[in-house]
Amino acid sequence: MKDTMPTSRDLPYLGFGLGLRVDHYEALIDDPGQVQWLEIVSENYLVSGGRPLRWLERFRERFPLVMHGVSMSIGGTDPLDMAYLDQLAALARHVEPAWVSDHLCWTGVDGVNLHDLMPLPYTEEALTHVVDRVRRVQDRLGRRILLENVSSYISFAQSQLTEWEFLAAVADRADCLILLDINNVHVSAHNHGFSPLDYLDGLPASRIQQFHLAGHEQGGALLIDTHDAPVVDAVWALYVEAVRRFGHVSTMIERDDHIPPLAELHAELDHARMLARRLLQAAA
Amino acid sequence: MSALRDMQLQLADAMRAQTMPRVASLRGDGVAGEADRLAVYHHGYRARLREALATEFPGLALLAGRRFAALLDDYVAAHPSMHFNIRWHGAGLADFLATAQAWRERTELAEMARLDWAISTAFDAADHTVIEATELANMAPDAWATLRLHPLPHAQCLRLTCNADAFRRAADRGDERPTLRRLRRPRHLLVWRPALDVRYRAVTPAELPALLGAFEGATFAQLCERLAERHGVDAALPHMASLLGQWLGEGLIGRLDMA
Repeated sequence: MKDTMPTSRDLPYLGFGLGLRVDHYEALIDDPGQVQWLEIVSENYLVSGGRPLRWLERFRERFPLVMHGVSMSIGGTDPLDMAYLDQLAALARHVEPAWVSDHLCWTGVDGVNLHDLMPLPYTEEALTHVVDRVRRVQDRLGRRILLENVSSYISFAQSQLTEWEFLAAVADRADCLILLDINNVHVSAHNHGFSPLDYLDGLPASRIQQFHLAGHEQGGALLIDTHDAPVVDAVWALYVEAVRRFGHVSTMIERDDHIPPLAELHAELDHARMLARRLLQAAA
Repeated sequence: MSALRDMQLQLADAMRAQTMPRVASLRGDGVAGEADRLAVYHHGYRARLREALATEFPGLALLAGRRFAALLDDYVAAHPSMHFNIRWHGAGLADFLATAQAWRERTELAEMARLDWAISTAFDAADHTVIEATELANMAPDAWATLRLHPLPHAQCLRLTCNADAFRRAADRGDERPTLRRLRRPRHLLVWRPALDVRYRAVTPAELPALLGAFEGATFAQLCERLAERHGVDAALPHMASLLGQWLGEGLIGRLDMA
């Protein structure tokens, strides 16, 4: 890794933000309200020109941005897609995001892209594999990345570690940071029958750089991470526990489908801000 | 092969299979059985690709109607996505519809897919300046013969044997499904993006020889010769001058050079 790569302490605290979605372009420019920063989906702007890049310029002038990708396939066993990484690096040079993130998962194999965030078996083999790839990605991008925990519905007989042990070990050995999706912790805890508090307790506070808050739906016995609904009370409660453990962490609402009017997301963001302020003031 | 890769190959095969098989490495528990768990991914794979393709092909969705889902499932089964961006999975849909046994008889489907895809790719194609009329104002008279007028790089001239553009327009406006009309004589549609908004319009029969010539890189003199075959020698130059004014005015020409 390059000596000039920023350490976690160099990355700023951004406050409370939103995932940028097309439906809110006009409304966010007209009235950003208390939105302090935006997360863009990197792939939406890996295009040659036209309206997407024009909007990106406008938001870049108004807000701190972070880049969040879905295609790195850091746990994949096909070779890393260097063309993709180079496009990502070029976009990052232009956007100058506060940081770049993707998911702790694999998205395809043998050249076929499944376009899903597939979970890994939590084995020493997978850990060694992922750590090596994270290091190579960080070298290629010239920056430390954040990896997000995904919601999952399957588990593997060969897993030797818990999910949080695996995530913490990846972050430690690869020297990367963590984007903690609180909703995904809740969903996976329900689906796999573990304690979400054990999960939080197992993560290193020094590597938590960002929180996602989102909604989900019930799909039979399983919770399904749809990111298409308001944050539920249980996730708000887990968010409080996360703030209690990790303190001031840049927090955002991530809504991917059934996009509501911006005012609804403003209200959720205000709620997150209120919960964090109340807790941290009481602790001070 | 590593155990990790072997597991990924098994799981990917299971997700893509029409009938979901059992994957030995998965574990069920008291919350849900392994089959119910795998089914979330099996269902999600098709649902995500269908949703992405529906976004890129609104005209085709309207035209195909209730058969749209089956059409997409056939395509997804025959052509797995190979690109990191799910949107680009649509690149092969028109060719698939033109050749797949189940769909090739309905030629309007492939035509519709080509129009939707031309609009989709023009939307975020590389920005390009357009040639203004003033740039031709001081051209020496003897230079005109070898002048070439290059349309914008992303522009396309599509041949249609049906009213596919009516379906796209209706889809964009949220109008009701138009009646499909198969044309006795093929017509052409020009798709281009002069600034930020994608445009498409019918190409008149009188314009077509010159427009196709411009796409092929013909010189101004050659474009006039093509028009002369249709309109006569005397009418060709004024007609070409009129077309040139139209093309420049609508922001179609992206580059000039000399042969």
